[in-house]
Amino acid sequence: MTGLAPPASARLLATALLIFTALVMLVPLGVVIASSFSESQFLVFPPRGFSFRWYGEILGSQAYLSAAWTSLRVAVIVTALSVLVGTPVAIALAKSSTPGRAALSGLFLSPLVLPTLIFGIGLLMAMSIWLGGPSIWGLVVGHLVICVPYVIRTVSAVLSRADPQLEEAARTMGANVWRRYIHVVLPQCRTGMAAGAFFAFNISFDDAVIALFVRAPGVETLPIRIYGQLEFSPDPSVAAVSTLMILVSAVLVLLVDRAIGLDRMA
Amino acid sequence: MAAVDWVRAQARKESLALLAPGILVLVIAFLFPVGTILITSVLERTEDGAFELTASHFGKFFVDDYYLKVAWRTLRLALVITLATVIFGVPLAYIMRRAHPALRFAILLTVILPLMTSVVIRTFGWLVVLGNGGLLASLVAPFGVTGRSAVLMHTETGIVIAMTQVLLPFMVLTVLGVLQGIGRDLEEAGRTMGAGFWQVLRVVVLPLAVPGIVSGSLIVFALSISSFITPSLVGGVRLPVMAGSIYQSIGGSFDWPFAAAQSTLLLAATLLLIIPYARLARTP
Repeated sequence: MTGLAPPASARLLATALLIFTALVMLVPLGVVIASSFSESQFLVFPPRGFSFRWYGEILGSQAYLSAAWTSLRVAVIVTALSVLVGTPVAIALAKSSTPGRAALSGLFLSPLVLPTLIFGIGLLMAMSIWLGGPSIWGLVVGHLVICVPYVIRTVSAVLSRADPQLEEAARTMGANVWRRYIHVVLPQCRTGMAAGAFFAFNISFDDAVIALFVRAPGVETLPIRIYGQLEFSPDPSVAAVSTLMILVSAVLVLLVDRAIGLDRMA
Repeated sequence: MAAVDWVRAQARKESLALLAPGILVLVIAFLFPVGTILITSVLERTEDGAFELTASHFGKFFVDDYYLKVAWRTLRLALVITLATVIFGVPLAYIMRRAHPALRFAILLTVILPLMTSVVIRTFGWLVVLGNGGLLASLVAPFGVTGRSAVLMHTETGIVIAMTQVLLPFMVLTVLGVLQGIGRDLEEAGRTMGAGFWQVLRVVVLPLAVPGIVSGSLIVFALSISSFITPSLVGGVRLPVMAGSIYQSIGGSFDWPFAAAQSTLLLAATLLLIIPYARLARTP
């Protein structure tokens, strides 16, 4: 097969493109991480000196800690609700007996491609007009609508490889609805549910757009706190918080890979 | 026969019960807010407190040179960004498809890790790279490029660079999905029949990848025209895009009906792009 190998020129171009892409994709994250260990007051690159002082600073900062607590609470609630809502939808969409499956799946996945900005603005307006103002629940609802599609996608992905005959067998052998779901259907969905939960947590924890619009008084998430700092005077403490958040995302990416494989993202 | 009908009716009920919570979320969190935007965009409060239908909020957008400039900048940037993601994303997807599994996983991680980090943080990274005293400025300083020309902050070039990084993963993953469906034997057949590597790429691979490139472009374009965080932080107040202008109408001038009208225009533009995307995505 050596005769079919790409020519040297193609290999050279491919190598150059790979190096360039890796730089462009990773350097912005790298400079944030590097800046977080800076000794100086200001954000300059390359950073001067090496210290952990900014990590000490954020861990002692009431503003950052309470923002982190808000983000964590919202993300946990959103994750639980997303899995509870998204899994049954994916199960229904996998059933041949569900009418209008193509249209329904388009409808349920549409929040993935529609601008997040619109949900934020719409929720802000709807809550101000009908509910007397935004609250932390507005944030939860807003995140829910962008997270549920991920759970639907990951659970659908594992169900497409599952054996539908198993559920049929349970049914004909007399298992009632509950036993059928607990012993057959849900175990089939397990890895998809886990991957969906990791996605949901990550998206809720990282979102700045919905949080920026549906901002209730006293409710500040970590990304909003970072955004606010960037608008005014960023110092290396923003880099330290960002580095910790990159770490959270990296762990979640690896967990998704463990659950269903990153390959299935394409 | 009756028993079959009963089983079918039960199955239908079961599906409905499974879908119910999802439908509830869609209505509360999706249709209701979007409906509120649409209604707000066409209503005007008269002097006696009643509401009446009006097109004046949309009119305000189309008569003001400032807003037309904002819209034109938004579209122009989206076009350039989409083009950039095609130029880099399509070859990258092809390389991934042919690469050794270990290399392929490394590329996948390189593409997905930034995608999974908060857009605020990625933009922060670009501020450090492109800004005053940033990485780029210190890299080009030895070559005598200093001062304003070394700082890409508050420029459209800066927005394009940062946004291309933010949106490239969508192009790569969409095209990769399509390329994976093309059998390797087609390429091999082309090569064994005497076609050169580049010729096979042009005549066999590229035409088959077109649906992926088109849907990738539609999604990148749609995400690009509505993005807010990156253009507003990199571009600053002097280079507003649609999303920034909406934010300004909400929080700055408190003109919510006008914000709703601009949101409606943005949503309409997105839907125009997304509907063909959904059609393409459905055909395998």
